[in-house]
Amino acid sequence: MSNPDWLERAALRARSATWTLAHTFERYRQVEERTEAELARELGCTREVLHWLCLCRKPEGLNFDEQVTAITQRHEVDLRALVDVIRHVEIVDALSRPTRDSALAERPIQMAARDRVPGEKTSS
Amino acid sequence: MRFPSHAEEQALHERVLKKNESLASEDVFRVFMDPIIKFLCTHRGKTKDEAHDAVCDVLLEYLENPERYQAHKSRLSTYLTRAAEMQARDMYRSQEARQRREREFGGVIELRARTPNESLEIIVEARLAVGRLEQAVQEKDRAALGLILQGERSTHALAKAMNLPPLPEKDLRRAVKRNRDRLMKLLGRFGKEDRDVQP
Repeated sequence: MSNPDWLERAALRARSATWTLAHTFERYRQVEERTEAELARELGCTREVLHWLCLCRKPEGLNFDEQVTAITQRHEVDLRALVDVIRHVEIVDALSRPTRDSALAERPIQMAARDRVPGEKTSS
Repeated sequence: MRFPSHAEEQALHERVLKKNESLASEDVFRVFMDPIIKFLCTHRGKTKDEAHDAVCDVLLEYLENPERYQAHKSRLSTYLTRAAEMQARDMYRSQEARQRREREFGGVIELRARTPNESLEIIVEARLAVGRLEQAVQEKDRAALGLILQGERSTHALAKAMNLPPLPEKDLRRAVKRNRDRLMKLLGRFGKEDRDVQP
């Protein structure tokens, strides 16, 4: 069955909705400087399949595995690659999100880096 | 390209409401895009592109807030089709408004633009006026008048151009103001005479 003529346009418009995979893929492409074709190759699918994936809700929550499996079973994409892309964007977004009071509070990662006392020798 | 049955619609809506099934949103697109696009193109005279964008936006909105649809009031297909109709109308109106604004802006620019012939006439008239002004203003005042017309406001710069002797700051300011007022009056008089001279 051929793909509908609205598919690419819909995938493009879905980027603006943060709950879609289209938004996640767009973020990933921006961060990792990938073209659409490169991303499709990474996921092991065609551009048309990538467009269908764009219309899916981003898997999250307790049944994350179940949702990802359902997507990969229907569209035959690389499960591992899809999970990597989703998690990668989640981490980048979490790190770039400002804390509640960025002037006073430090990010956990910065606090951990400063835990070491200057001049102190590491155990290794 | 037909709408699903009432039971199928309801089942799909239940899946969407849970928000924990990734494929439900894709299925909404698969099920509703084509029949609603067809309705808008056939019965509402929309172009394919207009219909695509309108239906797509409505489905994304529904998928984000599925709880807004009240199943007891209408069928899901009716709800989405009506929303798409309104969306297409809004998009058309905002496009019309944008085009109107651009037309009006273009009109203003056209009205303000001078023809090459008119610009040439203004240049010639300005040159003649400068010539007459040079004759009307004494040699010693020309430098100061030039600075004033360029917008110079510094007391010391104007005092220098007016050839004023070294004075205390307060007196200098007063002298510059007096000279400036005299020159502006002269300019005003010249402007009035110049208008009277012109045909």
